[in-house]
Amino acid sequence: MNFDPSDEQKMLADSAARYVRERCDLESRRQSAKSAEGFSRRHWQHFAAQGWLALTLPDGVGGLGLGLEEMAVLMEELGRGLVAEPLVDSTVLCGGLLAGTTRGDTLLPLVASGEAILALAHLEQGGRAEYDCPVAASATPDGDGWRLHGVKHLVCHGAAASHLLVSAREADAAGYSLFAVDAASAGISRDAYTLIDGTRAADIRFDQVPVAAADRLHGPAGAADALGEALDSAIVANAAAALGAMEAVLELTADYLKTREQYGQPLASFQALKHRMAEMLVDTEQARSMLYCALAAQAGGDGNARRRAVSGAKALIAQAGLFVTGQGIQLHGGIGVTEEYAVGHHYKALQMFAQRFGDTDFHLQRRARLALEH
Amino acid sequence: MNLQLNPEDLAFRDEVRAFLAANLDPAVIYRSRTEVHPPSEADRRWWNSVLNKRGWAAPGWPQRYGGPGWTPIQRHIFDMECRLAGAPELRWQGLRLIGPVICEFGSEAQKARYLPAILEGSEQWAQGFSEPGAGSDLASLKTTALLEDEHYIVNGQKLWTTEGGDSEMGFFLVRTDLTSKHGGISMLIIDMASPGVTVRPIEMINGDVSTYEVFLDNVRVPRENLIGEPGSAWTQTKFLLNNERTSSADIDKAYGDLRRIRAIASGESKNGRPLLEDGDFLRRLTQLELEVEALDWSVLRVLCGAPSRRPPAAAASVLKIRGSQLQHRLGELAVDALGPRSLRLFTRDQAFAAEPAPLWPGYVPGVRADQLYMRACTIYGGAMEVQKNIIAKIAFGL
Repeated sequence: MNFDPSDEQKMLADSAARYVRERCDLESRRQSAKSAEGFSRRHWQHFAAQGWLALTLPDGVGGLGLGLEEMAVLMEELGRGLVAEPLVDSTVLCGGLLAGTTRGDTLLPLVASGEAILALAHLEQGGRAEYDCPVAASATPDGDGWRLHGVKHLVCHGAAASHLLVSAREADAAGYSLFAVDAASAGISRDAYTLIDGTRAADIRFDQVPVAAADRLHGPAGAADALGEALDSAIVANAAAALGAMEAVLELTADYLKTREQYGQPLASFQALKHRMAEMLVDTEQARSMLYCALAAQAGGDGNARRRAVSGAKALIAQAGLFVTGQGIQLHGGIGVTEEYAVGHHYKALQMFAQRFGDTDFHLQRRARLALEH
Repeated sequence: MNLQLNPEDLAFRDEVRAFLAANLDPAVIYRSRTEVHPPSEADRRWWNSVLNKRGWAAPGWPQRYGGPGWTPIQRHIFDMECRLAGAPELRWQGLRLIGPVICEFGSEAQKARYLPAILEGSEQWAQGFSEPGAGSDLASLKTTALLEDEHYIVNGQKLWTTEGGDSEMGFFLVRTDLTSKHGGISMLIIDMASPGVTVRPIEMINGDVSTYEVFLDNVRVPRENLIGEPGSAWTQTKFLLNNERTSSADIDKAYGDLRRIRAIASGESKNGRPLLEDGDFLRRLTQLELEVEALDWSVLRVLCGAPSRRPPAAAASVLKIRGSQLQHRLGELAVDALGPRSLRLFTRDQAFAAEPAPLWPGYVPGVRADQLYMRACTIYGGAMEVQKNIIAKIAFGL
């Protein structure tokens, strides 16, 4: 067992850290959050040029065929810089669902190059977690292909996406199927809105949208498992970004305590605040350990172990992250609750992490259930 | 990066499991799993000698002094397997604390005199560090040892000397030079049978005696019992603590506690169903299982020297804080799983003698005694608040 990053992983971390340091200042992050798409196309181009969008995609379709360890190394650095770009959604989540499918052969190279941005259109009214949300949208056979009909809810990056991966139920099927759809197809209408971190999401209506036979990625027998696996991977990548945010808050807050003076002395001299910082580190280290735990289970190859570890990591890292970033706000005082200062942005990034892809209650229950079956 | 145990480690784990299965009998396992404090002294001495015959008594020692030459990961696996199998926990003071110090700093005569009996378990050791006026603040200690024709004359009082009444030997922090506060402290070996050594048992919150007060009244100690140079105790103490950087996490005890909680919750029922299936209970258990798993990975990171943005000593304090907090919460969940039956006082001897009965299943004795005793774990070894000060200073420069 060893935790030392490979040379390749070190280079990846260094180049991401340098980019964050030089190009991802808070001011530009604030601007992109207020822009139409909620993220920066300039960053997106850079990610593509660096091969970061291709990282986890398979060889042969424009991908580099690397694993989640590399993605985690990258995302931790980008998380420090408050990454807003949809690279986990487009490449890990949707790219994972496309890998090995016929449609993937043509679409994945565009994902790797950044020309295509993919979003998952799966949640509907009455659903809370992607893992178990009810799907009412329908897929009706039409010639060789299908017609999709229904309403999808809270599609992250749904406004900017060039393609949507849509879940829909075929007549009489027990589970749902997954389809890849060009977002410009006739019959699609999007109602976009802004999330707390600047992400543009959309409610998307599909009105008898035609899709070709080859656009059905997974049938009812395998779609839920494929989605579960892709979600597990996306959670691990996002968990690394959450950890980066926590590390950034620790640094910001420690620096602030040393410079800010009250009652004629630096805040750093107050033991209550020192102790809070220590508690924040304890939770951050716990979060990092859970990330390793999830990465180990991913590499281990046992599906049940992977699901248990990912749910565990999701729950603990969300708890730790909300504590650390929340206390980061508290220790900063008033400036912490403004939009003009980074710590609040990190807090909102952790809220996104905590709520997306199943909340803490969901993952604790999933973990408990899987452990009983184990 | 390779986050899997390698095949040699897995084979090692199987070897340890087989050895444990062949050498532990149910009565010993029962007594160990009560987790009373202190464990059976006879069981510990017996198990010490059994392990010594196999060459496994002192995993942390250099090979030339009798250590088995295991990697840190193998030592971790060994401790974990021993705990889960219900092996008696060997006493730490000789094997884990003073033994490695003697190997590193002791004279050849000291090594020859003390190490074999530690390996065999025939001489057990007391640790004389804390004093009435020096708890977390060890530098305030007052016990003196002044040289008088080839003997140190020792005077003072030690407190919280764990298992001091069951110890043949002791290692003590004493002031050999009265002129400086931080210097002048030395580590001295004292035969507990020496005239002038008085040991007073302290009944603890759980009704048992695991720790003692030691009075030192003009005790004459041969000069050659000093370890290293006079005034060098901080070096040795730092070395001693560094050896045990991950042990304050108490990770194997935490896994043992989870095993016990699951056993209780499978045996107890609530609203006609096993407690283990109760949603509220299961959520608390799951939360703790996750935090113990995270702690385990934190231990592995330290053992493997994983890269960190902060100094290693910060990681040790982080382990100590989270490990001891978890001990409290595990004890509380075990007690809650038992419900009001947890209120019955089982002293150590009562727990050992208890026969399982329908109203008093075998998993009841020891749960409450352990929970009460473990209130100490956020205090001993440097109180939690001191650990937080350490982290603030060395991790953040506050």
